[in-house]
Order: sequence, then structure tokens, then C-alpha cells
Amino acid sequence: MASEYVLEKEKIHKLIGIRHLTTSTYVLRFDKKSLDFKAGQYITVGKFNVEPRQYSVYSPNNVEYLEVLIKEVEDGKVSRQLKYCKPGDNLVVDGPFGHFIIKDEHIEQHKKFLFIGTGTGISPFHSFVGSYPNLNYQLIHGVHYGEEAYEKDFFDPDRMVVCTSKDQQGDFAGRVTDYLKNQEIVNETEVYLCGNSEMILDVFDILENKGFPTEQIHTEVYF
Amino acid sequence: MKYHLLTLGCQMNKSDSERVSAVLEEMGYAPVENEEEANLLGILACSVRQKSIDKVYSKIHKWNKAKNHRHLITFVSGCVLPADREKFLKLFDMVFQMGELPKLPDMIRQYGVGNGMNFNLPNGATDDSKKDETFNPVELNGEPVKKSLKGTLLAPGAIKPFWNIKPQYQSSFEAYIPIQNGCDKFCTFCAVPYTRGREISRPSEDILNEFENLLDQGYKVITLLGQNVNSYGKDKNGDEISFAELLELIGKKGMEKNADAWVYFTSPHPRDMTNDVIDVIATYPVLANQIHLPLQSGDDKVLIKMNRNHNVAKFREIVEYIREKLPTATLFTDIIVGFTGETDDQFDNTVKAINEFAFNMAYIAKYSPRPGATSYKWDDDVPNETKKERLHTLTSHLKKHTAAYNKSLYGQKLKVLVTGYDAKKQCLSALTEGRINIRIPLDEPGWVGEFKEVVVSGYTDFSLEGLPEAIREHAI
Repeated sequence: MASEYVLEKEKIHKLIGIRHLTTSTYVLRFDKKSLDFKAGQYITVGKFNVEPRQYSVYSPNNVEYLEVLIKEVEDGKVSRQLKYCKPGDNLVVDGPFGHFIIKDEHIEQHKKFLFIGTGTGISPFHSFVGSYPNLNYQLIHGVHYGEEAYEKDFFDPDRMVVCTSKDQQGDFAGRVTDYLKNQEIVNETEVYLCGNSEMILDVFDILENKGFPTEQIHTEVYF
Repeated sequence: MKYHLLTLGCQMNKSDSERVSAVLEEMGYAPVENEEEANLLGILACSVRQKSIDKVYSKIHKWNKAKNHRHLITFVSGCVLPADREKFLKLFDMVFQMGELPKLPDMIRQYGVGNGMNFNLPNGATDDSKKDETFNPVELNGEPVKKSLKGTLLAPGAIKPFWNIKPQYQSSFEAYIPIQNGCDKFCTFCAVPYTRGREISRPSEDILNEFENLLDQGYKVITLLGQNVNSYGKDKNGDEISFAELLELIGKKGMEKNADAWVYFTSPHPRDMTNDVIDVIATYPVLANQIHLPLQSGDDKVLIKMNRNHNVAKFREIVEYIREKLPTATLFTDIIVGFTGETDDQFDNTVKAINEFAFNMAYIAKYSPRPGATSYKWDDDVPNETKKERLHTLTSHLKKHTAAYNKSLYGQKLKVLVTGYDAKKQCLSALTEGRINIRIPLDEPGWVGEFKEVVVSGYTDFSLEGLPEAIREHAI
């Protein structure tokens, strides 16, 4: 005999819509209910009979819905199941979690921010920019192909550089680390890194070698 | 009716097992050491290592075979990953999460066993399991939720009735008080968030009641338990006190009762460690001068990959404050060597950290991928031989500091708690307030569970030897 597994109603969110950005990448939009988060935090999203996965919130925190940006993973149970959800379906959502957030005093001080993300690691930056309208930021987005610069029109083109490592469709042909090597980063900047751990560790090294204070580097490792 | 309970893993599981035992013994079950004698067999599983989970499978296969010739009921609970839970549902008679423990008698009764029961609740605590709305099934897509949510963790509030069960303490002088369950930190090497769910704090009133009750019963060592004790209260968004405030109330209660006891907590996370916690420990005598603060690695990049959300500089700040405010406190830590991708240089940084922070004890583990944890998907690319060497190297550095500290205690008079007696060696084992093991070569079994004063008469790298002053003087 198995015991009953019961969830709080509050954790069940209704899917509003799904937006396919590429053949493998999509945005899920679902109702927010009382889930209050700070831009940059992540939530867990799943169906009822599978282990949920962690996703940074893609949407700003000042709208009445939640969005997550998902890339379908090869052999990935959850990312595949979620892709075929229909509006009206129920999802199990928990959170928020994490500390990859901008301090209020840094907003008040109009600090400079450098955001570097790879692939769907752009999610928290999408949320930052939507949540804090006057943010003084530069964004470097590293992708394989230009089509993976997800919804880049959302960002100010003067503040964004897309680095493409496998085609010439971006602003810079090469990896974000190649681009960064030739950039000067002023020491007052707060740097946020989100994506795969190799990129994060390589950027960490580059910045450290440039003499950048590492305590101003904030990281969120995607897996 | 006899039960046998196998508890695997950490102190949280050991603490949970005291509540499981309480429920079973209230039903009329008696504990037995030998599983062959039991007709109810249970496991509190641990998912930290595959080896522990393998043990669960091995046991249940054995028990299911035994069902061919005797009547048996089996159950599993504890830290179980959703994927394993699904498999266990087919192998065990009952699979439940700790929050569902109050329902265990009902589940067992479905097998035609047992009587009605009333839980003994700590003073002032209420059994709200029946009115807790998280136990009412909700509807999903028009269907009531029943057994189909096999892979889903219980709602956080569901743990509350579990906490209200008065535990069957396994010791008459040492007890654990769970103050928090779950983890929101998602360290990449750890599966706890997937087995125990997100952080939830137990109501402070219940904790204080249980604490007072233990003091009244003369308990000498009380450990506040949680996966991240110092994030206590944060999940309540201002509706619960902070960890420092909880410690302060415990400290005050200790003073009010003139308690002769040591209160510890484990384990805190460096990210949430605040100076006010240290200040409170420095103020109240019942709060023991010992801190266990897991570092895991002395390299900032490894810490990033572990998703620890702190760096060595932050850890240093905390240690400096501890040394300033609690100069006699011992400092323990946890370290993982050979984490995926850890280079020689990165390991050297951990060696430097061990030497800089001069820990009194470090629980050093070779990294092993834990199913369910994020790092399980990454290459376990540090060869086992290298991990062994690193463990050996780090231990030898650690020894320099533990030996020097132990030597510094030589000749000092210390208050110790006698925790055990070895009849063969006619010798007592004890702990200092700083949780350093101390051997007392005396044939005094009646001292177990008592505080004694001894003078340190010898030391090794990781332990002390001591004798009461009068006996030592006589020996000299």
C-alpha cells in the first residue's frame, strides 16, 4: 500500500501558453498565484508524476504571470514532457529559491552591471531587465547559432552583444570568453554569470587575471 | 508484535527514527535488534550515497523472500529520491514521507494489525494533523490526487504533525531536536532538496517546549538539527523568529532553569551565518562553545561549481568573528576532496584553508557522485587514487592542528560528559564541551550520562585522555 501524496493547492499552476522560440527551445507561461520572487531567483517546475527541474524565472517580477525558458534536453524527461503541455494543463511549481539577485542598494546606487549568460542562462537577465527598467547594464549572450539569441529584441541593442560560436549571425563570432578577453571591465561593475560551469569558471579566471575583484562576481551554475 | 528499524545515514535520520519508534511502540510494538524476530521491518533510507540505497534494495529483497515462510509487513521512509520511491512502491508494503508518520498506524491497521493510539505530545503542542488542510487531497485536472503523485514531495506544511510526535529518545542524556526540515540550497553534490523538499521551519514554540521538557528530564546534551539550521525562520517571511533569536530564547530558558547542559546545532551554512548567532553563543552558558561550519572546499572556483554561494573570504570573515567572540570554541568542518574537475592547484587551496583555519576536526570525504544530485551528470574525472592521496594529505595537515590543540589542553582541568563505557577495556569514553573525544581509564560504568571534571593527562592527534584530579595526583 502506498500512502497518498498530497500537494498544497497553491503549488498547482495552470499553463497559460507556450511560445516556441526554436525547434528545441520554448517559453512556458503559467499563472503566478501568490508566488512572489526576486528577479534572478529560480523555481522548480514539473508534472505530477516526474521529478521537477529547476528553472530561473524568465519573466519580470512585476507581471501577473510566470515564465520559464526551457531547452529540450536530449533524453530529458521533464523538458520533453513540458514541451507538449497544453494551455489549461496543471503544473507543479515550487519556489522561489536562490540568491542570484541584485541588491537593492546597488539599484539605488545606479551601479554598472555586466551580465554574461550562455544559452538559456539568459533567463535571469531577462527577468532583471524587465523588473528594473532603468538598469545600467551590458549583456553578453553566448550561443552556438544566431537563432538561439532568444527574444533579443527585448533588450536594448546598444547594451547587448551576441557571441555565436558556430555561425556568423551574432555581433561577435566566437565564445563569450574570446570576446571578454579584449574588453575592459571597470572595477566598480557587478558581474553576473549564468550558464554552464565551464563558461563561468573560464570567465572567473579571465576577470581574476584582469585584476577584477572576485567578490563582485555573482554566479548561477546551469547544469 | 515486534519491530526492527534500520536507520541509515545522518543525525536527521537518527532523530526521525526516534519518532518512528515512538509511533510503533505506542501501537504496542516492541523493538528488537534481530530482524529475524520482527514481524514489522522498516528502513529509514539515506540517498547521500548509492551504497546506502543499494543496502535498501538488498534488505527488501531478503525480506520479501522471508515473506514466503512468515508474515511480515515492510515499510521504508527517510531520504528517498522520487525515482527510488517509485521503485520502492512495488517492493515495500508501505512507503511514506516523514510528514505522513502520524498516518502509519492507519496504514499498518490495513494489514489487520494494531490498536488505536494517541500520540504523546510535548507540553503545549497540539496534534493538528487532522485539521491540517495539506492532508486533504486536491483535485488535479478534475481527478482527486491519490497514489498517482508517487514522485512528488509532500507540501511543506505536511511535516508539522510529524514534529508534534513525542520521540522515543534513544539516550537518557543526549537528544536531538529537529528545528527545520529540507533544504533550498541545491549544492550540486547533494540530493537533499530532492529527498526532503524545501526548507521549512518548525514552530519556535514547539521547539522551546521540547527543549524545556528535555531540560526537566535532565538531558545533558541537546542538539538542534536541520539541514541548514541557520536559515531557520526564513521560510516564514517574517512570521517566525530568526535562528539567532531562537538560540537566544534557548539561552534564556537555560539560564532561567539554571541548566547544566550543552546545546549544539548542526549544521549551519556559511552563507546564512550571521554575527548575531555568534554573539548569542557568547552570551549564554548553555550554548556550547563548538561550531560545525562546513567549508567543503578552500577554492572559490570549486565552491562556485558546488553552488555553495559563499567564497573563502566570506568563510574567513565568519571564522575571524568566531575566534574573536568565542576564543575557546572548537571549530569543525566538512570537506569534499576530488570534486568533479578539482585540479591540483584547487586542492592546494583547500590545504591552505585547513592550515589557515586550524580546524579542530574536519570530516573529509572523497567525492562520490550521488544519484539525484546535479553533479551526478558531470564526469567524476578525478581518479580514485588521486582522491585517496588528497584525503591522506589533507588529513595529515589537519592532524598538525588537532594535535597542537590537544597538546595545549594537557594538564588543564575540563568538564566532560561521560558518554560510554567499554566493559572489555574497563574504560570510559567522554566528550569535552568542544566535542573532543576523551578517554578516561576508569572502571566506573555508573558515570555514563554524567558530567565529570577531569585533568587532561594525555593526548593523541584526535583525542585526549583524562583522569579526575584526585586520582591523577595519586597516580603521580
